[in-house]
Amino acid sequence: MTQPSTTAASAKAVPGDSVDAVQQALGAEHAAIWIYGLVSAFLPAAFNNPLNEGVTAHRARRDTLERALTAAKVEPRPPEAAYVSPKPVTDQASSLAVLAIAESDATVAWRSVLEHTDDADLRKTALEALTSSAVRATRWRKTAGATPAHTIMPGKPS
Amino acid sequence: MKSVSRRAVLAVMTGLAVPLVPACTSEPDQPPPPDPLAALAEQARKDAAAATALAQSSPDLAAVAGEVAKARTEHAVALQAEVDRERPPTVTTSASPTSGAQTAPATKATMIEALKAAEKQAGELVPSVPRYRAGLLGSVAAGCASLREVIA
Repeated sequence: MTQPSTTAASAKAVPGDSVDAVQQALGAEHAAIWIYGLVSAFLPAAFNNPLNEGVTAHRARRDTLERALTAAKVEPRPPEAAYVSPKPVTDQASSLAVLAIAESDATVAWRSVLEHTDDADLRKTALEALTSSAVRATRWRKTAGATPAHTIMPGKPS
Repeated sequence: MKSVSRRAVLAVMTGLAVPLVPACTSEPDQPPPPDPLAALAEQARKDAAAATALAQSSPDLAAVAGEVAKARTEHAVALQAEVDRERPPTVTTSASPTSGAQTAPATKATMIEALKAAEKQAGELVPSVPRYRAGLLGSVAAGCASLREVIA
């Protein structure tokens, strides 16, 4: 292992006044990763691709945030010891519903990052995360046959 | 007061205050540059009008076009509210620029293109605007991206 430095390579430190919002976003990413793991048991193989795509994206966001927090000498918030699904997951329909909830929770957390930082790079990351979670939430709802599948102002706290 | 006048004299002597004072006071009142969100609000109104026209002319696309019209109208309202909050309109109803002229109906393809453009426009402003606006524009951009999923 060649580790370039103790503060992870190329991670830009989170500005002090953005730490709380970033920790919230990290919490939402941990929760989303957990939900993706939970539902995989209830969804047929046809869902493998979108599930993989989603969980890979959330892991990448989690890693980015952890590096950026570490670079700011802040302890990244760990995953919770236990999660409670927002709804009981028993079948395909309830799986799709909680996936949409997890993505939608992530959009709220990421919009809040936009509102709590002046750092242009962090804003770009947040915009990308907000957009891709909103798109995935829409896809899961569409797959479930929910209408409307989209949210008009994703990330806006209701 | 003594020290002020001494400073003023000194400044005049060094020639500093001479160009500064007129620069501060006699610059003509230039109209402030247009709010960039005003253009986004206007575009959202146009997108909504084109989608509404499509919904009326094409029954099989009516549901989707109706959703686009509804969402883009809501975007326009939110963006315009922010424009007006920042700079309250001087005339009571200055902001009804959606021309009464008939809007050409969108097609599925032009609707997708318009949403792509709107997402890009909003997203490009996100890094540089004040915080509240960054959140608002982020939601508009993400909303446009989501609508494309609905149409596709």
